[in-house]
Amino acid sequence: MSALPPYIADPELPLAGVRVVDLTVVWSGPGATALLGDLGAEVIRVEGNDRVSRQVSARTTKESIARTGYHGGTYPDKDPGERPYDRSALFNWHARNKLAACMNLDTPEGHAAFLDLIAVSDVLVENNSNGVLEKLGIGHDTLLAVNPRLVVARMPPLGMTGPMSDYLGYGPNFNSLVGIAAMDGYEGEEPDSAGENYHMDEAAPAGLAFAVMAKLWDRESTGRGGLIEFAQAENVMAEMGEFFLDHQVNRRDPPIVGNGDPWVLQDVVPVAGEDAWVAWSVRDDRDWRGLHAAVRLGAGLPGPDADGPARRAATAGIRAAVAAWAAGRTAPEVVGTLATHGVPAHEVLTEPQLLHDEHLAARGWWRERSHPSVGTHRYPGHPWRSDDFDLAFGRPVPGFGEDNEYVYLTVLGWPRERYDDLVARGLITDRQLA
Amino acid sequence: MADTRAGSAQALSGVRVIDLSRWVAGEYATKLFADFGADVVKVERPGAGSLTRAWGPFPGDRPDPERSALFLHLNTNKRSIALDLRDPADREVLLALVRSADALVESFRAGHLEGLGLGPDVLRAVNPRLVVTRISAFGQTGPLRDREASGLVLQAAGGPMHATGQAERAPLRKPGLLEHYTVGRSAGQATMAGLLRARRTGKGATIDVSGQEVLLAGADRRASYLLSASYSGLVAPRGARSPHRHGATFTGPFRAADGFVMVYVTNQAFWDRFVELVGAEDLAFRERFLGRQTVAGRDREDFLAHVAGWIAARPKVAVMEAAESARIPVTAYLSVSEVLAHPHFRERGAFVAADHPVAGRLEYAGPPWRTERGFALRSAAPLLDQHGAQIRAELGEAAEVRA
Repeated sequence: MSALPPYIADPELPLAGVRVVDLTVVWSGPGATALLGDLGAEVIRVEGNDRVSRQVSARTTKESIARTGYHGGTYPDKDPGERPYDRSALFNWHARNKLAACMNLDTPEGHAAFLDLIAVSDVLVENNSNGVLEKLGIGHDTLLAVNPRLVVARMPPLGMTGPMSDYLGYGPNFNSLVGIAAMDGYEGEEPDSAGENYHMDEAAPAGLAFAVMAKLWDRESTGRGGLIEFAQAENVMAEMGEFFLDHQVNRRDPPIVGNGDPWVLQDVVPVAGEDAWVAWSVRDDRDWRGLHAAVRLGAGLPGPDADGPARRAATAGIRAAVAAWAAGRTAPEVVGTLATHGVPAHEVLTEPQLLHDEHLAARGWWRERSHPSVGTHRYPGHPWRSDDFDLAFGRPVPGFGEDNEYVYLTVLGWPRERYDDLVARGLITDRQLA
Repeated sequence: MADTRAGSAQALSGVRVIDLSRWVAGEYATKLFADFGADVVKVERPGAGSLTRAWGPFPGDRPDPERSALFLHLNTNKRSIALDLRDPADREVLLALVRSADALVESFRAGHLEGLGLGPDVLRAVNPRLVVTRISAFGQTGPLRDREASGLVLQAAGGPMHATGQAERAPLRKPGLLEHYTVGRSAGQATMAGLLRARRTGKGATIDVSGQEVLLAGADRRASYLLSASYSGLVAPRGARSPHRHGATFTGPFRAADGFVMVYVTNQAFWDRFVELVGAEDLAFRERFLGRQTVAGRDREDFLAHVAGWIAARPKVAVMEAAESARIPVTAYLSVSEVLAHPHFRERGAFVAADHPVAGRLEYAGPPWRTERGFALRSAAPLLDQHGAQIRAELGEAAEVRA
C-alpha cells in the first residue's frame, strides 16, 4: 500500500466524504460516476477478475488486434501492453479519480464483501440490463434493507417496466426509439444518411449526476435514501420536447434539415486543406449585416437590410456564395474574417487540432497525468469549472485491483487474514483474468 | 413567506432558483430544478420576454409568444416576472429576489452582467451563499471569450462533428437543438453541485460553463476520441461504422420496407445470432459467416447485400421484434408521432398533460428520472409576467418582516 490512501476527502468539494459504489459498464454509466468523482466523492469501482468490465480482454495483444484489422489507436502508441485493461481510451476517458477493487459478485465471498461495502456507502450506480442485479441477489430492495440511507441509481435504457423494458440496445438503438434518428441526416435525404450517433450516451451522465445529487439533497431532509429509476431513453427524450408539442398542434413530424435550420441561415463549407471545414451561422439582422461586411455576396442576393423572410427565401443562393468565397481560403482566414464582423463561425475541429488549441491552452483545459500502466499523457478536462473550488483530477486511471488493500482493510475493516485468504484463493487479484 | 417555499412534497421543494437566461441551455438547466419542486423565477425582458418565446414551432406557424412549443416545453413549473435590468426600481426587485434565492442561472454574453452592474461580485455581496451559474459558448476567460456562436458553430468547436456524417461529404451536425440541451443539463448539474456545497459549507460559488468544454468532455465519443488522439494521434474517421471498436462488429442504419432500423452488432455473440437470423433460410450464408471476426472486400460486399435485402423485405417493427426475440440489438426508427403513441411510453406515463390558459391542454415530455418525491407537472409554462405582482408582493412582505 502506498504512503497516502487513494482517497482523501477535500472539504471544499460538494461531495466530500460521499462514498459511491460503481457497478457501471460500457459508456453512459461510467461517464456518470466520473462526474461524481470530479465533485469529490469516493468512487469505488467493483470489478470481477472473471469479467471484462472495462471493455478490454486481458488477452488483447498487438497481434490479436492486427488479425482483426483494427487500428489500435485507443491504446497509447497503439500497444495494449502487459495490462491492456489499464490502457484503453474506451475506459480511461472516464476513469479519473476512481478507485478499483476486485470483487467477484458471483461468489459467496464476493457477495458478502459487496454487502459489507453497501453498508458503509452512500450511493450505488449501475447500468446493467434489467434483472442482472436481481440474479446476483443484490436487487435494490435487498440493498436498501441493508442500508436504508443508500441512494440506488439504476439506469435501464427503457426503464424497469413497460413492454419494451427488456429490449437490448446501445446508444444508437435508443436514439432511434425516441425520435432522434428519424430527424437526423443530410438535408432533404433519408435519415440513414447520418449513420450513427450516440446522443443518448451524451445525455445520461450529467442527468444521472443531477439525480443522485438531488436525492442526496432530499436525504438531508428525509433521512432516507431510495431508488432512482433513470430510464436513459426518457432522459434524452426531453431534448425532443418541442417536437412532441408541435405534433399535437400541427400533426407533423420534424423534417430532416441536415446542417440547416428552420430559422438560422447556416452551413458547413469546405475550405483549403485536406478534409477541412468551417461552420457558419446567421441568426439575426446583426449577423446578416456582419456577413455582408465580411463577404462580397454578389448581385441578385438580398442586401444588408433584408429581413429574415427575405433571407430565408434566398438561402440556397446565399449559401452557395459563401461556399464559393470560402473555397480556396484557409480555415483561419475564413473564420477570422467572419468572426471579425461578429458572424458566428468556427472550424470543424479534429482531435489533434484540439490538442494544440490556443483557447483551451489558455483555459488550462487539458490535464497531464501519469500512471505506471499507461505512462504520461494529456487527458480531456472537466465539462465546467468554478472560480471558488477546483474539481478533482487526481490519478487518471486505477489499475485493475490497485486499491484492493485500501478497500478491504480500511473501508471494510476486514482482518488481514481474511483478506489474505481470498488473495491466496485467487478471488482477489490485481490482474484481470478474463 | 409565500406558501410556494413551504411545500415539501418534492425533492427540491424549498429551493429557489432565479432564471435570467433567455435561450435553451439556461432554461433547460432551471427546468431540471422546477420539475422536481424548486421555485424557479424566470426573469424576462418586458414586452418581448425570453428568446424561446419567438422560436416556435407555433400552431399553424403563426408566431405567438404564448404558444411557442419551445418556450412551453422548457418553462414548465416556473413563475415569470418581467424586469428591466437597466431600471433602478426593477434592479431592486431583482436584488431582493437574489437575497431570497439559492442559485441564479444566466447565459448573457460574457461580461454583460458586469456591464449592468450585476456581476457575480455584486450578487454574492447581497447573498454570500448564492450559486451563480454562467453559461456561454467559450467560457468567461480565454482568447475566444467574446467569439459569437450558434448551435452549429458550437458543435463544430466542441462536438464530435468531424466524425459524423459520411466520409466524402460535409461533417453533419446532430439534429434539433440537442447541443443546447446538453450544455443546459451540465449547467444544471453544476448548479446542483454548488447548492450541495453551499448547504454544507455556507459558501456560494461562481460557476463557468463553457459550451465548448461541455461538448469536448462529452460521452458522445468525443472525450474518448480526444484521449485516443492524445494516446496515439488517432483522428476519428467520418463515415466509418463504429471506428472505436474492434472484433466482430457490424453496425449502422438500414432501410426496411416501411422505414429504417439501427443495427448494433458489437460482439461475437450478437454477430453469430445475427448471422443465424438473417441466414435462417440460407445454409451456405450461415456456413460462410458464422464465427467470423472480420469481413472485408468481397466478403463484406456480399454480407452487406444479403443483410440489406433481408431487412428491406420486412417492416421495421417486424425486424426489431425478430431481432429482439433472438437477443440482438436492432431497433426501429420511430417518428415523433410514433413515439407519442407507443404503448411502451404510454404505459409508463412518459407524457404528462397540463392546461395552459392560451395554448390549451397539451401533453409534455414527462419525468427524466423517477423517484419518491420526484417529478410533478404542477403548472404549465407561465404567461409573460404572470407572477410579477405576486412576486413583488411576496418580496414586500419579506422586507417588512426584516424591518
